[in-house]
Parts: sequence; C-alpha cells; structure tokens
Amino acid sequence: MMPDPERMPATTPRTIVTGVIGSDTHIVGNRILSMALEKAGYKVVALGALTPAPEFVKAAVETNADAILVSSLYGQGELDCRGFRELCIEAGLDAILLYVGGNLIVGKHPWDVVERIFLDMGFDRAAAPGMRVETVLDWLAQDFAARERAPRRQAG
Amino acid sequence: MTSPPTVETRLPLSEARIPDDAFARMRRANLARWPTGAEVDFDAAVARHQAMPLHKRLGWVMREAAAQGRCLTQPRGGFGTFALQKELMQVLDKEGLADIVPTTTDSYTRNEQFQLAQKGIEESERMGRSLLNGYPIVNYGVAKAAELIDSIDKPAIMLTGTSMPKLTGEIAFAGGYSGYLGSGIAYTASYTKDLSIEDGIRNYQYLDRLAAMYQAHGVELHRRQPGFLTGTNIPPCVAIITGVLDMLLAVAQGVRNYGLEMGETLHLVQDAAAVRACRELCEEYLAKRGHVDVFTSVTLLHWMGAWPQDDAQAAALVAYGGTLAAVAGANSVTTKSTHEAFGIPTPKANADGLRTTRMAIYLARGVRLDSMPDFHAEVDLIKREVRPVVDKVLEMGDGDVALGSVRAAAAGVLDVPWSPSRWMRSAVMPARDAEGCLRILDPGRMPIPREVLEVHEEKLRRRAERERVDYGPDLAVASVYEMSESLGTIFTDRWAERPAG
Repeated sequence: MMPDPERMPATTPRTIVTGVIGSDTHIVGNRILSMALEKAGYKVVALGALTPAPEFVKAAVETNADAILVSSLYGQGELDCRGFRELCIEAGLDAILLYVGGNLIVGKHPWDVVERIFLDMGFDRAAAPGMRVETVLDWLAQDFAARERAPRRQAG
Repeated sequence: MTSPPTVETRLPLSEARIPDDAFARMRRANLARWPTGAEVDFDAAVARHQAMPLHKRLGWVMREAAAQGRCLTQPRGGFGTFALQKELMQVLDKEGLADIVPTTTDSYTRNEQFQLAQKGIEESERMGRSLLNGYPIVNYGVAKAAELIDSIDKPAIMLTGTSMPKLTGEIAFAGGYSGYLGSGIAYTASYTKDLSIEDGIRNYQYLDRLAAMYQAHGVELHRRQPGFLTGTNIPPCVAIITGVLDMLLAVAQGVRNYGLEMGETLHLVQDAAAVRACRELCEEYLAKRGHVDVFTSVTLLHWMGAWPQDDAQAAALVAYGGTLAAVAGANSVTTKSTHEAFGIPTPKANADGLRTTRMAIYLARGVRLDSMPDFHAEVDLIKREVRPVVDKVLEMGDGDVALGSVRAAAAGVLDVPWSPSRWMRSAVMPARDAEGCLRILDPGRMPIPREVLEVHEEKLRRRAERERVDYGPDLAVASVYEMSESLGTIFTDRWAERPAG
C-alpha cells in the first residue's frame, strides 16, 4: 500500500503520541492506528496499553509531539481522561492537538452526549466506536493544515 | 529474564505445590493489604459453601452439565455499586435464565488500584450511574459478596481479567463464589504490559493453591482458564497451548475441577473441532503426567473481536454463537449482547443475549458433526499444531511447566497474537482464510511443523487472491475488523455489473 499523498504530512514528519489510557489493555485498535500513522509518514511514539495520563504528557514533552491520540475501550475513559488537557497545559503543551476515541463511557449512549463530555474536557476531536483509521488521518491533515494557517496559540 | 524477587522468602519458581507453611505466610501478607481482607475467615467460608445447595455450587454444576451433555449459558456483568450489581445479577438469573451468574470486576480492581476503585464507587453513587466497568468486590468486602450470592439461585463465577487475583479471589471465595476465571499465562499475556509471566504464574499459583485448600476441606470450586486470550482472532491451537499449560500449573497446586475457554472462531467446523481437540489434549496431557482424578470442561465464548454496530448483525452473532457452542458440544457458552459494539450492556440487553443464545442452543441440541470427514481432519490438524509446542515448552522447563512457560515465552516458543505484554513476542500473526477459519499467517518462533503451516498458507493465499489483498500483515489487519463491518461491505446485495454488450 502506498502512502496517500493527500494525507502526507509536511516534509518534517510530525510526531504523534499514541496509547491506551488508564488500566485498559485493549491494544489492537491502537496498534493498527499506530501502524497506519507510520505508514502515512508520521513519527509515532506508541506507548501501548495501560498508560496513565501523565505518561502521555511526559512522552509528548520529551518528543516535542504535535498531537496525542488517546484510546479507551473499556468504559472508564471518562474517569481516566478528566484533567488531561490541564495536564498538557501545566507541561507547557498548550496548543497540542488532543484526540480521544473508542468506547469512552460505560453503557450505550447517543454519540453527541459522549462527544460533548470529551470536547468539554478539552479534546479537539472524539472518535466514535467503529471510526476508521482513514477518517482519523483526514482529521489530522485538516487540523494540522488549519494550525499552519492560524498563528499558534502562545503559552501564558 | 526473571524479575527480581519482591519478598526475601520467595520460593524459587517451579510448578511444585506451595508448602503449607509458606502458603499460610503468603495468605497473611495478602489479606493485610486492604481492610476487607480481615473479613476472610476460611472455616466460616467452607461452612458457607457446604451449606449452599448443590445447584449453587459451580464445581458440581459443571460436572453435572458434562454428565448430562448440557450447554450452559453464562454472561458477563459488573457495575460499580452494590445496588446496581445486585439488580444486575438478579436480572441475569431471573430474566436471562443464566445457568451461571457472573461478577465482572472493574479495571481498577483488576490492577489492585483499590484507592481508585473507592473513588469510582463514590462518584458512581453520587451520579446514580456506573462510572466503573465492573464491581469492585474487594472494596465492598466479604459480607456484601455473600449478600450478592444470597440474592440469586444459581452458582456465581468471578470474571476478573487480571494477573493479580489474590485478594479478589480470597474475598470472592469467602463470600460464596464457587468459580473463578483466570490463569497465570493467559491473563498475563492478555491483560498486562509490565508484569512478568513469572509473576503472573506465581499469582495464580496462589489462587489455585487456595482453591485446592477448599477442595481439601470438601468444597470443590471450579477454576477456569481464559484461552480466549487477547480476543483477537486467536486460532484454536494458540488457545489450547496456553490452556494445557495453565491447566497443568493449576493441577500441580491441587485443583481438581478446571475449565478451558476458547473464543469462537465463527466457523462451525473449526469451533467443533477446537472443542473436541481441547478436551482430548487436556486428557492426554493429564494422563501423561499421571493425573487421573481431574475433571475438565470446555467453554466457548461468543465472538471476542470487534462487533458490528447494527443490532440485526449483532443479533446474528449472538444467536449463531449459541448454535456453535451447542453443535460443538461445549459444556457452556459465555454470551454477549447486541450492545457489544458500544461497550457494557444494560441488564436487559444482557438478559436478552442470554435468552437468544439459550433458544439457539435448544434448536441445535441434537446436531453433532461426528460423521463429517472435515471435522476429523480439523481435529487432527489442531492436535498436530498443539503437541509440538507444548512438548517443546515442557522440554525447555526440564519437565517443569512453570519454568518451561517462562523460558518459552521469552524465546517466543510460547506466543500470543496482539498481546499488550512486553514479555510476549507477539510475533505469531493470525488471519481468516477463504472458508472462514482462523489460520496462522506467521508462526513467529512457535515450533509448528512445516507441513502443518503449509496447510494454513495454502488456505490463506486463496483468500488473499480472491480479495486481492497482499499476502502479509494486511491480511491479518483486514481480519481484525471483518466481523464489525457493515453487511453492505462484507456481503453485498448487489450483483457485480457485467460489461455492456
């Protein structure tokens, strides 16, 4: 499979941190996502399963990452993701792109309700169950392009 | 590759039964880790089990199901507060007609983060809905566990997806739970990242030794192995290899009632063959090692991979899952519901899944595949995959299952696909073939004979050609999401268009 030129990042590859948050072991989707991101030309820092929120932020700081993609499949994402944006801001990552995706809360709820909970927490995008990798790649391309057009938000 | 000892008195790793005095010391230290540990009174627990009617004791129920050729139903289920959990168990018992009632623990409890679980309980109670994905049994303690058992008229099993079962197991058994799902190799490979296989084995040696202690006092508990592993296209041979090894570890501690679980491949013949091969291979290895008094059962699980979001498609997986288990002659089936694609089901949806499955089992009750040559060929193929690997693991441990398993995992001889654990190589890669069976695309370093792998490759190449997918990792990835795709994608109602003229 050839990388899709429309989804190709700029010449310096952007760095994306991926992982499954909290006490969650569902690694398969996250691993496939990470493989697809690499294939699309991104530099991927894959933290794997069972990753506490502060480890995402630490890895993002250390690698000067452009985005963090958080997976949660086991229903406790609501508890695990609270304060994630604040952790990023404390670490000086004010403008970092934050996506979250998976089966995010316990039970079957309308997606707009779930999405609102996570957007209110400061995530830029929330991916519904069954979301395809291609859509995430499109989102990243759009959001990175928008950021290049707009001046970066400055810290403090 | 072994981790540093956590206590000075730690015994060297082996399959040997933990001696009485060492076990007593381990129990004291374990029970002191959280306040509810002090509620565990072994003699009272034994009396409690003995006072329960036989039909609430899973050890007896599994033996009886096997003797009568029944396929029992059992869902999963756990909520974050006692009130919600009690209601759930009653709904599953009364409305779902579950033969076995579960209690799934939340993921904080699974990782022994009892402080976090406590916070989850408080928030769940405050918000009136469960923020935890299961029941924090350790935080609630023995008396509450006993109250749950008293509220149902079925045997109860703990489903804990953990490599750290020691406190959960103590509390649950003391409360009257008579089954516990979990094992050292399978769960460590599937539910942890950093815990070594050795530590996982040690933790389950404790639980098995505890179950054996109940056995010695006249209470036969049912221990069970989660051979479904990572739930992602696990071919039968991979499940059975870990199953046989975990079983031998449990039996070495004194367990006498042990169940093997496998996720359904969704191919009727392969699933039936898997159940037959699993049963016979367990008996074969038990006999080889001189165990004559061990009861084993086999359970199939509804599809463990990604589910379709469409209710109708999901309903087919639920019903067919019952059919597969019944035709395969499984002793029980673990059910899911049409909510599976979205996460944890409501009690009602869960109960519906149970009854759908139950009806399917009833419809298939008289059907067996024994007259079918393909069935016997598949049983034979699975055995030719399992024996070389299990034998190599035992050889690597100089006959000791615990040592062999740790060394074999480090070497990749024992391997599990899609594992989150850094202690597994996860080089073995499965994919679905043209006929719908799960095959091995890449064995990694598992010593599966070449002539067996050639069978797999031939079947997988046929699919790759038909679907014009590269023969390689793309085929494996395509197989991961296949069952969750919409019908329009996997089985269209459109005819291929012919060129005009």
